[in-house]
Amino acid sequence: MAATFPPLPLPTPLTQFFWDGCKARKLMILRCQGCGWFVHYPRPVCNKCLSTDLSPQEVSGRASLYAYTVTMQAFHPYYVDKLPYTLAVVELEEQAGLRITTNMVDTEEAALKAGLPVKITWREVAPDFVLPMFTKADA
Amino acid sequence: MASNNRVAAVGVGYSTTGRRTGLTSRQLAVQAATAAMRDAGMTPKDIDGASMLWAVSGAAPPGLDVVDSMDIAHMLGIGPLNFWNSGAGPAYIGPAVQAVAAIKSGFCHTVLSMRVIRQKLTAAEMLAQDTDSKPDYVEDDFQFVAPFGSIAPLQAIAAMPAQRHMDLYGTTEEHFGRHVVAQREWASHNPDAIFRTPLTLDDYFASRYISKPVRLLDCDYPVDSASAIIYTTEERARDFAKKPVFAESTAFSSVKYLTFENLDDIIENSPDHCARNLWARTDLKPKDVDCVQLYDGFTIIVFQWLEALGFCGRGEAGPFIAEGHTAMGGRLPLNTDGGACNVGRRHGANFCIESIRQLRGDESGVRQVPDAKVALWANAVGSFSGAMLMTAE
Repeated sequence: MAATFPPLPLPTPLTQFFWDGCKARKLMILRCQGCGWFVHYPRPVCNKCLSTDLSPQEVSGRASLYAYTVTMQAFHPYYVDKLPYTLAVVELEEQAGLRITTNMVDTEEAALKAGLPVKITWREVAPDFVLPMFTKADA
Repeated sequence: MASNNRVAAVGVGYSTTGRRTGLTSRQLAVQAATAAMRDAGMTPKDIDGASMLWAVSGAAPPGLDVVDSMDIAHMLGIGPLNFWNSGAGPAYIGPAVQAVAAIKSGFCHTVLSMRVIRQKLTAAEMLAQDTDSKPDYVEDDFQFVAPFGSIAPLQAIAAMPAQRHMDLYGTTEEHFGRHVVAQREWASHNPDAIFRTPLTLDDYFASRYISKPVRLLDCDYPVDSASAIIYTTEERARDFAKKPVFAESTAFSSVKYLTFENLDDIIENSPDHCARNLWARTDLKPKDVDCVQLYDGFTIIVFQWLEALGFCGRGEAGPFIAEGHTAMGGRLPLNTDGGACNVGRRHGANFCIESIRQLRGDESGVRQVPDAKVALWANAVGSFSGAMLMTAE
């Protein structure tokens, strides 16, 4: 029988904002207040200007597909009744190279290709646990 | 301290290797270390340094004993140690780089370097875990990937880069299959290989997908194993039993912290950085290499290294392999021991040992590359990796 929960994040004071954002269905990324550079994964310093003044900012959820794989085998009890699923990395429009790991949903496999325009969609994958996923953007 | 310009590999050894051997980590390490000393004609008193990496690649079964380099050295009567390291790193290239650097610097003269790896939990064991009553909490950067189902290393290390390689360069699943078939042909002639039955392309396509486009036959074979290689100075090397093989050029690279999903480039990463340094530290060129041993944790990694090292152009590894260059009889013999997919997961150490055996010139049977003088082996990929060019006189 499938497990109720996928692997769950164990937030720290540095990462709590991201998961609070997911609960509110807002995609929040840490941004340097000195030079405007987005920093993901969260770090206490900007790797461009070394400012330590960073705060979360909501991003648009518009992105392009960078890499993906259609996973055919479960490696965690949550996934045994959810195969196949598409693990993906998408590049957010706010900054070249700014990427998050996610799942592609509601998109036929034949349409998946690096560079595909995608947009955010929120999914409650387990009770009170909401994740940002992506789907093919409207043409 | 006198520094040493040239470092030589003089002894190699393996432990018993297989699924759940029933041996402890210490027993595995002792087997490999004593085999390497025996191979070199060496005693513990000849050694004054130790480097080692112990790890499970993935979720660990409960109850495994950890070893480190100090423990192994002293239990074998090696010591006092002038250098040791048991730190993390990308598989065997870590202990290898540490050994070469420590000897070159003059910190010590002879290093026992080891990789001890334990078989991870099987997929069935992972699925049998009761994660509802005992939630599976994920820390650090992995909290940003595991909740989306990036759980098995192969998804981010191999499947996503392989898929992107196909999208960008037109690489095909047949290209991956050609490599798997060619590599198995090498394995069929290696008495140490676990898998020795030749494969056809049809066998490859009959192998199930794990995470597209990666199939079961694209994955190295998880085992318990220990591997040991002993390095020493050029001056001492000539006193031991075997023909010395020299570390002509060595490179090490880290381009990102741990997770593969967040690499700046999921195809061109640490191997490209390594390759630039490796070639800058030698007068040798890719055309001088007699055989290459490229880490095959997953098939796509071989493609990444072939391209990074300049054996073919970016995106051209698939056609290069399909043309037969890496197979037996080809002009660039590749993974001549059969690779980790066939000899079992030694995390790069098998490629160092195979390079040494090829360069000794009389240990590889029909796999022997005629008059081999230059061998290159490479290990790991993505966030971190390393490579070594080895030569024989």
